[in-house]
Amino acid sequence: MQISELPEIGTKYEIETPKGDKVAVIFLTTGEIELYVLESGADKPSVTRLTSEEARRLGSVLTGALLTIEHEDVEVSFADISDLRIHIHLCPVTKNVVGKSIEDLAIRKKTGVTVVAISRKGQSIVSPPPEMAFEEGDLIVAVGKREQIKACQSVILGQG
Amino acid sequence: MNFLLDLAIVTVSCLALGLASKYLKQASIPAYIIAGLLLGKSGLISFESYDFIQWLGKIGVILLMFYIGLEFNYKGIKEPRRLFAGCTDFAVNFSVGFLLGHVIGLSLVEAFILASAVYISSSAIVISSLIENKRLIYPEAETVVWLMVFEDIILAILLVILTSIMAGSLAMIPVSLAATLLLIVFILAFIRRLSNFIAPLFERDDEIPVLLIFALIFGFSALAYLMGILLHCHISEVIVAFFLGSALAGVKSFRKLLGTIISFKNLFLTIFFFSFGMMFKFQLAALNSADFVLALLALIVLSILGKFVSGAIIGKRLHGSLETGLRVGAYTTPRGEFSVVLIMVVMEIGVLELLPSIELLLALVVTYVIILSIVGSFFAKHGNMISKRMMMGFNKLMPRAHR
Repeated sequence: MQISELPEIGTKYEIETPKGDKVAVIFLTTGEIELYVLESGADKPSVTRLTSEEARRLGSVLTGALLTIEHEDVEVSFADISDLRIHIHLCPVTKNVVGKSIEDLAIRKKTGVTVVAISRKGQSIVSPPPEMAFEEGDLIVAVGKREQIKACQSVILGQG
Repeated sequence: MNFLLDLAIVTVSCLALGLASKYLKQASIPAYIIAGLLLGKSGLISFESYDFIQWLGKIGVILLMFYIGLEFNYKGIKEPRRLFAGCTDFAVNFSVGFLLGHVIGLSLVEAFILASAVYISSSAIVISSLIENKRLIYPEAETVVWLMVFEDIILAILLVILTSIMAGSLAMIPVSLAATLLLIVFILAFIRRLSNFIAPLFERDDEIPVLLIFALIFGFSALAYLMGILLHCHISEVIVAFFLGSALAGVKSFRKLLGTIISFKNLFLTIFFFSFGMMFKFQLAALNSADFVLALLALIVLSILGKFVSGAIIGKRLHGSLETGLRVGAYTTPRGEFSVVLIMVVMEIGVLELLPSIELLLALVVTYVIILSIVGSFFAKHGNMISKRMMMGFNKLMPRAHR
């Protein structure tokens, strides 16, 4: 990895593969990030400009924290703990649960799933208290193993 | 109400021509100068107060130099490769301008001014063209960017020398020089000494940080002016702004204000380009004269060649490739804001005995900058193709020559 400073432009991080392809990441002083890929022998590089948010996402994929997304489900695994697979699931509230709280539904006890956040009218409530009642239109962020999430969907939410 | 009318004319015309230049994917600097040319003294509208617009423009120059100082990187430029590149660039291109100025009958001082304006590339155009044309992954991009940094420091030195020469008599030159250096040292020490006091002020969310910046800039500019009067010489406020900027770069919390500085700089610098065009009296007779056209053409051709020659030397030495060097030359062809700043600073304090052919010099530089900013952008954009063609040409001429 070669790091060079480009005054008035930003900082360049460059890597050359054994094949001779070059990849460069340039952090512009404007806060945006440019990604260059120059295949060996190619006339022109391909360039894209990313926001810092997009770059972060791309970065986490590249660092190997494997993210597989099926619908609104994200699986997280860590390089150091190979047997751990956590599913983070996003499910909309159903009629079955509106007006009831996490405690009333005994979600954890019945399915093993933990509700880590509720998104209500565009605002997120992280670690909601157990006595908090669901409202129509809420989105639930639930964490658990794949089977637990499935159980939660069928038993609690009454889906499929 | 009249100043509002003037301001409306300036901003609306710059906006219109600026937008047009962006749509045509051209550099916007010549657009603003042309707006000033069309509407100013040689053009259509008589302004209520030329002074007023010039004052605003002057703030633009001060902010530009302040910003350059702020971004200036003393540590990086000391690297031998970069120094070699910078010195080659200066030696070749300054000599070209100086010799040509001499040939067309300018005085020594005027030839020096012409050489400075011809030597210095436009950082604004060069850097934005590197980004837009996706050159950042190539090794020569780094060389080019550091060349621009080197040119910044040379600009500061040239400005100090030029303003000192303008002191009037030969005896005053050392006084003026010493006064400038003294003030620079004072500014650097002042900011360093007070940085603990100043730093928290820049972190505030109210109007204090912006006020503080302008108070420092105008305060030291005024100090330079007063010292100049006292010593009967001239100390350039532009230089003061440059060193104030580089002193403040050391104050950590200051980076937060970079965006603010850039906005102010962009606005006032645009007005400056307009005011530069505005002050210029187009004398068609002069522009039509065969001598003038010949001199201008020679200047354009030789100065473009100059950048290719210095680029080739730099490329050969730093990258081991002539073609890369030619690309460096193509990328650094555009001239722009610094040439204008130089000529403007000199014009303002110019001692007329030293500048017998100032009209010719001014006409040359104005037309030169307009043409070279446009032609230069073209060269920068098509640098790869141009250098490839040139290499093919060389190889045809000298089939056995090694690359």
